[in-house]
Amino acid sequence: MSRLTLESLERAPSPAVAAPGAQVLVCSATECVSVRARAVREALETEIRKRGLGDRVEIVATGCHGLCARGPVCVVQPDGVFYERLTPNEVPHLVESHFVQGRPYADLLYHENGAGGTLACERDIPFFAKQSRLAFRNRGRLDPESLDAAIASGAYQALRGALRAGASGDQLVAQLVRSGLRGRGGGGYPTGLKWQAALEAARARNVRPVVVCNADAGGGVAVMDRIIVESDPHLVIEGLALGALALGAVEGFVYIRLEYALALARLQRAVAQAREAGLLGTGILGTAFDFDLAVHRGAGAFVCGESTALIASLEGRAPEPRATYVHSAVEGYRGLPTVVNNVETWANVPAIVRDGPEAFASIGTGDVSASPWRGNSGTKVFSLLGAVRNTGIVEVPMGTTLRELVFDIGGGMAKGRAFKAAQIGGPSGGVLPASALDLPLDFDTLAEAGSMMGSGGLIVMDDRTCMVEAARYSVDFLAEESCGKCTPCRDGLVALRGVLERITLGEGRESDLALLEDLCDTIGEGSLCGLGETAPNPVRSTLRHFRAEYETHVREHRCPGGVCKALIRYTIEANCTGCTSCAKQCPTGAITGEDKKLHHIQQDLCIKCGSCFDVCHDDAVLIR
Amino acid sequence: MIPVTIDGQRLEVEPGTTILAAAKQAGIAIPTLCDSPLVSASGMCRVCSVEVTDGRPGRVVTACNYPLHEPTVVATRSERALRTRRGVVELMLARWPNVPVVLELARDLGLSEARFTHPKRNLNSKACILCGLCVRLCDEGVWHHVLAFEGRGDDRRVVMPFGTQNATCVGCMACANICPTGAITFSGDPNDPVDAARIRRAGSELTREVVLLDRQQCHMREVGTAHLVEVMNDYDLLPVHNYRFGAHADTHKIASDKFKKVFTQGVADGCSLGCDMGCAKAVEGHVLRTGPDKGKKVLVDGPEYETAAGCGSNIGVFEPWVIVELNYYCDHYGVDTISYGTLTAFVMECFEAGVLDLERTGGLDLRFGSFDGALELLHQMARGEGFGLIAGQGVRRMKGIFAERFGADPAYLQDIGMEAKGLEYSEYVTKESLAQQGGYGIALKGAQHDEAWLIFMDMVNKQIPTFEDKAEALHYFPMWRTWFGLNGLCKLLWNDVEPEDNGTSGAPAKVPAHVRGYCEFVAGMTGREVTPDDLIVQSERVYNFQRVFNLKAGFGRRAHDVIPYRSQGPVTAEEYVSRQERYDKQLKEEIGLDPTAMTLDERRAALRKYREDRYQSLLDAVYKRRGWTSDGIPTLAKVRSLGLDKVEGLVELLAAHGVTE
Ligand SMILES: Cc1cc2nc3c(=O)[nH]c(=O)nc-3n(C[C@H](O)[C@H](O)[C@H](O)COP(=O)(O)O)c2cc1C
Ligand code: SF4
Ligand code: SF4
Ligand code: FES
Repeated sequence: MSRLTLESLERAPSPAVAAPGAQVLVCSATECVSVRARAVREALETEIRKRGLGDRVEIVATGCHGLCARGPVCVVQPDGVFYERLTPNEVPHLVESHFVQGRPYADLLYHENGAGGTLACERDIPFFAKQSRLAFRNRGRLDPESLDAAIASGAYQALRGALRAGASGDQLVAQLVRSGLRGRGGGGYPTGLKWQAALEAARARNVRPVVVCNADAGGGVAVMDRIIVESDPHLVIEGLALGALALGAVEGFVYIRLEYALALARLQRAVAQAREAGLLGTGILGTAFDFDLAVHRGAGAFVCGESTALIASLEGRAPEPRATYVHSAVEGYRGLPTVVNNVETWANVPAIVRDGPEAFASIGTGDVSASPWRGNSGTKVFSLLGAVRNTGIVEVPMGTTLRELVFDIGGGMAKGRAFKAAQIGGPSGGVLPASALDLPLDFDTLAEAGSMMGSGGLIVMDDRTCMVEAARYSVDFLAEESCGKCTPCRDGLVALRGVLERITLGEGRESDLALLEDLCDTIGEGSLCGLGETAPNPVRSTLRHFRAEYETHVREHRCPGGVCKALIRYTIEANCTGCTSCAKQCPTGAITGEDKKLHHIQQDLCIKCGSCFDVCHDDAVLIR
Repeated sequence: MIPVTIDGQRLEVEPGTTILAAAKQAGIAIPTLCDSPLVSASGMCRVCSVEVTDGRPGRVVTACNYPLHEPTVVATRSERALRTRRGVVELMLARWPNVPVVLELARDLGLSEARFTHPKRNLNSKACILCGLCVRLCDEGVWHHVLAFEGRGDDRRVVMPFGTQNATCVGCMACANICPTGAITFSGDPNDPVDAARIRRAGSELTREVVLLDRQQCHMREVGTAHLVEVMNDYDLLPVHNYRFGAHADTHKIASDKFKKVFTQGVADGCSLGCDMGCAKAVEGHVLRTGPDKGKKVLVDGPEYETAAGCGSNIGVFEPWVIVELNYYCDHYGVDTISYGTLTAFVMECFEAGVLDLERTGGLDLRFGSFDGALELLHQMARGEGFGLIAGQGVRRMKGIFAERFGADPAYLQDIGMEAKGLEYSEYVTKESLAQQGGYGIALKGAQHDEAWLIFMDMVNKQIPTFEDKAEALHYFPMWRTWFGLNGLCKLLWNDVEPEDNGTSGAPAKVPAHVRGYCEFVAGMTGREVTPDDLIVQSERVYNFQRVFNLKAGFGRRAHDVIPYRSQGPVTAEEYVSRQERYDKQLKEEIGLDPTAMTLDERRAALRKYREDRYQSLLDAVYKRRGWTSDGIPTLAKVRSLGLDKVEGLVELLAAHGVTE
């Protein structure tokens, strides 16, 4: 693309002008690609060409649609017909039905809750219908590798507007403050205030601040940051450019994990495109604004996402956090005022600048007119995981309840099980019980309830979950990811894990619950960085909401969730029909029994993998 | 000032003071483990946890690195602070149950045993407790970056990266000395000292001073000696145009801030193993513009102060790159930058005075500041060609050659040819310091300041006003400095970094605390107790022997301690006029003449006579103090007292020079 100017960008095709003919928007994000979305797309292209439909039907490889559980997915425009679980083999039938016969291909339409009903259009499917589009605005619509497509969807118009209007740093920062946007990376720190601090520090010392996009997206569940980068990299770049314009920065970084290959490749491509088109580099859009962005690849450790560790890593040092008694916004990268914001935070900036802070503040809950701390404006993107039907990436207004997320958007519990708990905020998020289903999900409510917004990972747990084991699992992850710099986190998490382990082994003592609490206090109060500070959350919250379960483990040596192997036994009951499924599934051959006769588990051979329980159609396998 | 309240006690502190420092001010002790004044605070151990309320809800912070910027209420022993501290120490106790510093902390907090076990429990009483002091000291203090942490979580451990024996480790042992548990040991000590611990104690005191005080004192670790350029200029001591003047308007162009930009910074570049000072500096990536390596990108070791002055101001060059280039080629050819600088300055003055011309130099333009000529002269000297063949023989021989071949006035050449005993002067203007004139003139190996650097004591601080004072200094310091040579030690650590309380030591110029440290070193090395006086006697024995050796070689008498008048006073009218006020004042106040009634030449002559007489009186006083005859030869009594009479033929040699009972 030739270099854009303020004028030429203004004349760029507006989003309203839809492409003529039909478009098949095939997801090409990591999750769908992992279930052969590329092969599906190629099959589609071949089939369309074969049938001579090339002029009429365009195949677009898009970013994530969000409904990853049902991938590979596609949406056919202009009608918005949604197809799920595509396979290359089914493609000819789909093309025949949809494009030749003009009927949606029923076999691959969205299946509602397993009840057999199907829904054809995206807008009718609750998963989509209840979502908003702000940070993840171009979900499933855009070819993430095309700058033209991004521009046609309105990318860089906020930047153009701000440059055209000659917006000052103070004005832009004030807009951010008024919007009430709070950091989406976990802490919920008001973004405008962070910018203001950096702006003031930079002015006082007459230096240029640095802007950084935290796309480390560690913690295993924070996939939405990666997906935003993967699906709409130009939105993030525009956010950063606006930040740079506001702060007077000429240098910026995106810190992204090396292992996110697709996101990394697309981001690098987008940065190169933006540079070539004069949207980054010197004299952006023909103005005097200079700003460039470097993509920094991180080797990948949870702690690398912590902003001071991230800055250390950017500087080429080991990613170890430092005390934040002096904020990075004042003294960060190479001592310069440094604004580190999360991917999703940056992705929200263009809309705030273009549509005004009030529009943003009107979404969500709370009133931010008095203080940017007072409220939860805008949306939040969650990655919805665990025991729900529709796992995937969802964006909802702040304050949406857990129930809406799990039962409406998430399509309810998978396998018909009961909701037991949800862990929000990644591995150091607290666990909320069923009684919290109607809590609005926002920074403050979550913090009060002993959880946190954290990364926005949301893991739903069903009644076959042991809360002690869930806590142990999180603590184990955190102990492995602790950088080891400070004593409480390094040695405390190991000690905490040890105590949890012995409880799950049935070796817990009555005094252990108090010991857990003491260790949580030491780790939470004493740790140097957010990792250690928040690490006790899973233990504290499960102790608070599921204390009885701990007590049962300790006193009765029983695991009510039926998970802790040392404490359970699988048995086969009289209602066994002798179908032999379980015996075939058992990896150790522990199940004996003749065809059509009652089966039996030899306990000394059983490794408690639960395969029999999972395959039995007659609920004859029990956990004791 | 920031008002803070610590445990109910109110005080005011400078903004940015840490809670730990503020508490100390208030006499309140907070336990620490990973903190040391030698390194930056890191907040690793968390033992110093305290509770803070500053408007926000109370929270636990670490005292060692929490800076006070607003009014703050601190509780160092609140329930919450103690709970955290106890919890942290309990974790350590679980992992390192036998390490004394941990046990001590535990005892103070009333802990006897941990309530849980640690999978990495280590029963070693010298186990590493991961405080990071060694890593930070090597990194920030010693600047060698040899140590690092490896592994995360409880796998963390201190290593030389990649588990190798890191070749850049200089063996300074700073890490072993700072380690609170004794986890670091060194294997093999090539010197096999009698008492290594004693040496190490003295050494770690020096490490402490270098790490903490150099950045307040001479910044030698950052810029080496190059910072002296502007200091000398300010005191009119920087040789300019063959020592005619002591300052120049263009000095700022070669001041240390300019070199700082081309130096490789923040690197301890020691010339000897284990040096914490590391004052040597390098210029990386200099692209040569002349000579056989032209166009090559090279690393240049230096420049030091005297290279900057000798290859810079003294030859009228104020271009850092020229100095760096001359530095490179001198090193490359094996030429001393001082001798080169001083002889080139002499050549240039001769050129400007008409003793030399383009024909005589073979076409080399050798006016002051002509760096093309200066560089080519160096290349010719190395190749043994052209005028370089003459210049390369040094100032003393050039004086003869110029007089003989070019008919120049030998007296004039003697006045401006800056050498003594055949060695070119090093780069200080000594006109106003009689003691330093003696320092250069009497020095055994010729005109250099290695034996005595007394300019500031004499001229600036006026600490040695009388001949006797000066003679005492010219006895003590040459002997003391000779001692470094005897032991193969660098003298920078003696007085280029000084203890905080040196000013009140009674004899700051001698840095008595450091002299005592060297006694410790000798005792630790040899097992023999020594006093500072013993060290001086060691030197005296060698020094007197060397003087006798000089005598034998034809350099050891009063006549050999003469110096060119350029180092004593203004040779030319131009020089006199440039500092006329100073010279007139001396005529009036010290000699009792009325300069206004005299012509310039008369004044110059009177001043010269006065100064040359004083130099002779100084020689008398120094010889006397040293136990030498008035001809500058050690007396028999002196020689005997030092046991030198046992040296075969020595007494006879003295007798041959008229020294008898
Ligand atoms: C252990 C740890 C991991 C973190 N990981 C991330 C991450 O992957 N991405 C992120 O944006 N923020 C992460 N954070 C939060 C960052 O430290 C920082 O608060 C955030 O990037 C600031 O951006 P925001 O204000 O836009 O949220 C992490 C924090 C901790 C303590
Ligand atoms: S809290 Fe954990 S991750 Fe953070 S600095 Fe301490 S050891 Fe490292
Ligand atoms: S070796 Fe010693 S100084 Fe280094 S981290 Fe371990 S305990 Fe601290
Ligand atoms: S002394 Fe403050 S954290 Fe170690």
